[in-house]
Amino acid sequence: MKGFSSKAIHGVISKKDVHGTLRFPLYDSAAFEAATAKDLEFAFEGKKLFHTYSRISNPTVDDFEQRIRVLTDSFGVVAVSSGMAAIAETVFALTETGSNIITSRFLFGNTISLFEKTFKRWGLHIKYADMTEPQSILPLIDENTRLIFLESITNPQLEVADVEKITSLVKIYSIPVVLDGTLTTPYLFNSKKAGVAIEIISSTKYISGGATTIGGLIIDNGSFDWNKVPALSDDARKAGPAVFLMRLRREIHRNLGSCISPHNAWLQVLGLETLALRIEKSSRNALLIAEFLSNNSKVRKVVYPGLPNSKSYDIAKKQFRSGFGGILVFELNNKEDCFRFIDNLTIIRRATNLNDNKTLIIHPASTIFCDYSAEEREKMLVTDRLIRLSVGIEDIDDLIDDLQTGLESI
Amino acid sequence: MNISINGESKIITDSISINDLLREFNVEAPDTVSVQLNGNFVDRKSFTSTFLKNNDEIDFLYFMGGGR
Repeated sequence: MKGFSSKAIHGVISKKDVHGTLRFPLYDSAAFEAATAKDLEFAFEGKKLFHTYSRISNPTVDDFEQRIRVLTDSFGVVAVSSGMAAIAETVFALTETGSNIITSRFLFGNTISLFEKTFKRWGLHIKYADMTEPQSILPLIDENTRLIFLESITNPQLEVADVEKITSLVKIYSIPVVLDGTLTTPYLFNSKKAGVAIEIISSTKYISGGATTIGGLIIDNGSFDWNKVPALSDDARKAGPAVFLMRLRREIHRNLGSCISPHNAWLQVLGLETLALRIEKSSRNALLIAEFLSNNSKVRKVVYPGLPNSKSYDIAKKQFRSGFGGILVFELNNKEDCFRFIDNLTIIRRATNLNDNKTLIIHPASTIFCDYSAEEREKMLVTDRLIRLSVGIEDIDDLIDDLQTGLESI
Repeated sequence: MNISINGESKIITDSISINDLLREFNVEAPDTVSVQLNGNFVDRKSFTSTFLKNNDEIDFLYFMGGGR
């Protein structure tokens, strides 16, 4: 099997089900009984593939992880309770007090909050570079730099950095590049090929297939030598190339308890099977909407990486398989116009999620970024005039009609 | 010849590769298992070219175990 959808649909057939079920069952059970005490000992030592307790591993969650592993041709995958849990676990695994990480000022609002508030209290330092200018990273690197973090498409600025250029540039420093690939998923962007060590995904978004459940993924691409990471070097002898996964499984993931529920994993596998179809459709819709909005005099500015006049167009076209994703942003004249426009929509829903089957709209400055001052928001390009649209897979004519009605109301 | 697998003695007739050993002993999830040969991790790419010798110690490891 070579095709993305074939792999997503058929997954990994590890054990034949006694009833011949075509869909991997939902194992909603906290614990599992071993046949012998020796088996249980081996399970705890990691010498036997056996699920003991669903906070650490579970057959249905494992099915989800193995499908993602096969799809990404990665070394290993840990499914967690949310995208934020995925980021938190990864940072916990790779850093210690006094470490610093290099990232962009253009990040999802909660990710900035996690770095700047939560982790800062534990002694982590955050440094900011312009990821679209990879050279700006180099002067920030020192002996305590533990990872470089960026998003494949920044939210909500929709900026796209040349990931391969960044990984090539920092390779000699043996610092892992961690990429949040939520808005592209492995369907649009092959992070392993681009040299990314760890890809993080909020599977709540595109993968869940209709916003059914919250979930996250940590994907170890198997391309990074973990021996050179100080926080992992002690355990590298015990776990070899699996040391990052071992640190998660046998410490961070286990101790934080940020496990995904088997029910969520089962629904997300269901979503995964139609991922390619939905990305293709929402990307097509998003491009048509971006073109429609660009031609309306009431719209000050439209940002979408798929528009040829976007500053990210060339790199996005080179980097992404097909399509530019389902998120676009645009500016109206002021906050009042934004609110009136949003309130006059009927099909497009007012909600704070991304990549649902439904098209969703939000005013980021007054919601996701409400904890930041107007000055801070301006620096993040989150103005009061900005609207974010997460384009779904409805029929395009209905969406355009709805947007037209909204524009006529201002 | 004698080899040890996860601490248990096993007798095999001929020297076989790690890849064949995984098959012969029906090791679960062979594409995710980590293999230690005499305390050293074997690169997955070398599973077919690494052959066992008498008294070798093999450990199969999965990094998913644990519980309360």
